[in-house]
Amino acid sequence: MDQAHQRAIAVIAHIDHGKSTLSDRLLQLTGTVSDRDMREQYLDRMDLERERGITIKAAAVRMEYAANDGKRYELNLIDTPGHVDFGYEVSRSLAACDGVLLLVDAAQGIEAQTLTNLYLAVDAGLEIIPILNKIDLPAAQPDKYAEELAALIGGNPDEVLRISAKTGEGVPEVLEAIVEKVPAPTGDPHEPLRALVFDSIYDSFRGVIAYLRVVDGRLTSRQQVRFMAAGLDVDADEIGVMSPDAQAVELLDTGEVGYLISGIKDVGLAKVGDTVTVRPGSAATALPGYREPKPMVYAGIYPTEGDDFPLLRDALDKLKLNDAALTYEPESSGALGFGFRCGFLGLLHMEIVRERLEREFGLSLIATAPSVGYEIELTDGVKKVVRNPTDMPDPSQILEIQEPYVSVMIVTPTEFVGTVMQLCQERRGELKEMHYLSTERVEIRYKMPLGEIIFDFFDRLKSLTKGYASLDYEPAGLYGSSLVRVDVLLNQQPVDAFSTIVHRDKAYDYGKTMTERLRKLIPRQLFDVPIQAAIGSRIIARETVKAKRKDVLAKCYGGDVSRKRKLLERQKEGKRRMKQIGSVEVPQSAFIEALRVDVDGSKT
Amino acid sequence: MSSVAVAGRTGEWLESPGFGVYVHIPFCTHRCHYCDFNTYSGMEDQYEVYVEALVADILRWEGPAPMASSVFFGGGTPTLLPVGSLARILTAVRDRFGCAPDAEITIEANPEGTGEKVFAGLLDAGFNRVSFGVQSLVPSVLTGLGRMHSPATALRAIAAARAAGFDDVNADLIYGSPWESTSDWRVSLEGIVEAEPNHVSAYALTIEEGTPLATLVATGRVPDVDPDLQADRHGTAEELLGAAGLERYEISNWARPGRACRHNVLYWSAGDYAGFGAGAHGHVAGRRSWRRRLPRDFVAGVDAGTSTEAGAEVLDADARCGEAFMLGLRLASGLDLAGMGRRYGAEPLATRMPVVQELTSRGLMEWEGSCLRIAPSATMVAGDICARLL
Ligand SMILES: Nc1nc2c(ncn2[C@@H]2O[C@H](COP(=O)(O)OP(=O)(O)O)[C@@H](O)[C@H]2O)c(=O)[nH]1
Ligand code: SF4
Repeated sequence: MDQAHQRAIAVIAHIDHGKSTLSDRLLQLTGTVSDRDMREQYLDRMDLERERGITIKAAAVRMEYAANDGKRYELNLIDTPGHVDFGYEVSRSLAACDGVLLLVDAAQGIEAQTLTNLYLAVDAGLEIIPILNKIDLPAAQPDKYAEELAALIGGNPDEVLRISAKTGEGVPEVLEAIVEKVPAPTGDPHEPLRALVFDSIYDSFRGVIAYLRVVDGRLTSRQQVRFMAAGLDVDADEIGVMSPDAQAVELLDTGEVGYLISGIKDVGLAKVGDTVTVRPGSAATALPGYREPKPMVYAGIYPTEGDDFPLLRDALDKLKLNDAALTYEPESSGALGFGFRCGFLGLLHMEIVRERLEREFGLSLIATAPSVGYEIELTDGVKKVVRNPTDMPDPSQILEIQEPYVSVMIVTPTEFVGTVMQLCQERRGELKEMHYLSTERVEIRYKMPLGEIIFDFFDRLKSLTKGYASLDYEPAGLYGSSLVRVDVLLNQQPVDAFSTIVHRDKAYDYGKTMTERLRKLIPRQLFDVPIQAAIGSRIIARETVKAKRKDVLAKCYGGDVSRKRKLLERQKEGKRRMKQIGSVEVPQSAFIEALRVDVDGSKT
Repeated sequence: MSSVAVAGRTGEWLESPGFGVYVHIPFCTHRCHYCDFNTYSGMEDQYEVYVEALVADILRWEGPAPMASSVFFGGGTPTLLPVGSLARILTAVRDRFGCAPDAEITIEANPEGTGEKVFAGLLDAGFNRVSFGVQSLVPSVLTGLGRMHSPATALRAIAAARAAGFDDVNADLIYGSPWESTSDWRVSLEGIVEAEPNHVSAYALTIEEGTPLATLVATGRVPDVDPDLQADRHGTAEELLGAAGLERYEISNWARPGRACRHNVLYWSAGDYAGFGAGAHGHVAGRRSWRRRLPRDFVAGVDAGTSTEAGAEVLDADARCGEAFMLGLRLASGLDLAGMGRRYGAEPLATRMPVVQELTSRGLMEWEGSCLRIAPSATMVAGDICARLL
């Protein structure tokens, strides 16, 4: 279809504010999906997404819409991942759009992640259509939040659409607003092809399916194409559109959105942000904004059963086909055996990978405490990156350590401002900005070390604000810090899995927390077990698990020998399943519990 | 009092512990709060048929029937049965197995409802050892445990048994119940010492699943037992009973020299025994079996001429050896590895030696000659140690 009648849009919304429900209504109203075929939440594909209520992988759906002006339009609805870890992917999805629907729950108001994405959209110069959803709810306060939205994006509160995605009220107006307000794409059909890859997924039958938007030129099937950043030339085996099921087409015209299948077997070769052009007659320059995915958070992942190491490797190899951002390399730990040091975009990404490994591959895993990547300059001038605390060189060899910082955004009711600021201050945060969204809610920005966020921050924030605050962050560069490694020793024996790198001022707190936690988690043994936290050889915290004094079957006579034997057999089996650290028996669950940090930044 | 050392009565592990017969009387007037034994109340009208069935089942025993070195009537409360019935059952045991001249023949009794006359009758019938369920000599503790008797009744019963001529009297005590204070426990121990039984069993209270007490604990109405406190109480027992000339020969059992319970030593030496009555267990050469639990089913089995056995398991040499460790290590003497080797062969011992080595090097076990035992200081963690050697 000609460019004048095309509109590509994305929905920016916080989890549960109704993105999926609205998408369903749009598909129904445009007749893309018949009412009968309407499956609940059509766009959410994976079970995992459905359960966690988040959209991990974007999809794009084409809808035909007969507008009130009597003309037909081709609307492309591009889905965006809803979480901080996928900020870069969101930015690419937005780069493929002409406008966005800013969808906010009329009973909740805007949340931090939505704000981040909104700012991304504003930066990208996109037309923003503000919408308050769930006006059917008794708790809805559309007037109040319309003012908040208007103040945020500039404009009038009465320009904010008010809808109920559930009942359908106001949804036709959304379609009209898209046609009226969102500009048509303005690419040049006569230039060589440049199409932006905004999503890329692996399908076990078809290989990699790249979702793209044709910015300039046109893409025809069976043409040879080049992924410019990857430097990879392939044949366009199939091109098509999702409407909502895949339909092969011969041509994707300028401005159109669709998919490309080209026999690639690894999403790492068709990365989000790459530009697809034709060959020969390639475009001279790629579209701007490509970035290699960069892990921000690292953790060791170990099978609880040592024998499962090869299975874990196979599983990671398979996941990697579908996840260009995941990195992993083998490592070994005295306490946990053989495993992998994995790199993730963030904590949620880590949690997703871990869940998929456990669920899809039936593995039982232990993850170490997450760590960030530290850049260390040694006294001899050598530079190295440390992703595992145990690799940290001796302090005497270190000239400087730099750690990654993030720019943190928190949206909170004003009554919690003090508490939130205190928390951020504790976490070495530097206040950057405060912005009142309304008289009741404020957006606070901090610069903070990422290492402080990955340790329990979200959990604390949530509990301190009774669940009202929301959080988002994005990378903000590397800065020098005074960091030390804290080791944890069980009965004088260091347990590598518990070593961590923290700011010097935090070392004592970490040591105290870990030793206290472990004291509760390690079962009493036949002897006193000292638990110590140390920096080098200096002990900074100490706890003791007192020797157990009674573990005896008081009575055992002829009538209950079999029963008592079974009791002890269970005890023996329990011992067999424990990890042996020196002479201390530590149950798996103690590792899991001690290393647990709360991670999920997406839930409100 | 005889002072001749009889095999088993020294409380040491025996390679050939003889042969025992256990008879179960599954009746009580009332159920105690902590009790998970196979026992029933309100079945007085069943006593007669039960005794008949028991006698018949003993007489038709087809297994090996060596002369019994010990017989044990346990329950329940065996003394609820008329002395005549108890005598008939014991006669059946004599008829089918025979009893060694020095056989130890024990009957369990509750303090209530037993007077000098009863004891004289039991002595006449051939019983020579009485074991009393005393549990405590503090009224509030007895009430908490759901016991029916008073401290005075218990002391009177012990005195009556001794007056009637029983040399061998045991008192069972329970410590570490939620109702008991440290001084309560001392009161019980001191009172028992004064009554001069020549054997005392003192058990840490265990909360058994399915008992009224377990429900009370689960619902938070009664605090759970505190293992550290129980360890302390065990220490107090050790101190007071030891001072009174009672030596601990098993985790929970104390006796004057030569007065250990031979029947129980047979259990702890992994010896062979036949078991009769509802739910009774038996063990012959690595085959452990148990009879129907409900008295009604047991009686019906006998009446129908079918076996009263409800199940059995046969253990291989390794499992038998593991079990022998679990049992033998309860004895203060430990177990004799030379004898164990003769019984089970070298292999099951060899696989356990590295663990033994580790445990001895950590001071948790010790050798004396060819006997291996748990170090006295580690008695209260015997469970952990036995689990490793099972
Ligand atoms: N009352 C009401 N509930 C809605 C409305 N829109 C969505 N919901 C409900 O809000 C919840 C989250 O909606 P969903 O579309 O899954 O949110 P998403 O996480 O943004 O995709 C679901 O239980 C929906 O049924 C609405 O307009 N009114
Ligand atoms: S007297 Fe003994 S067997 Fe009977 S209920 Fe009480 S504890 Fe149980």
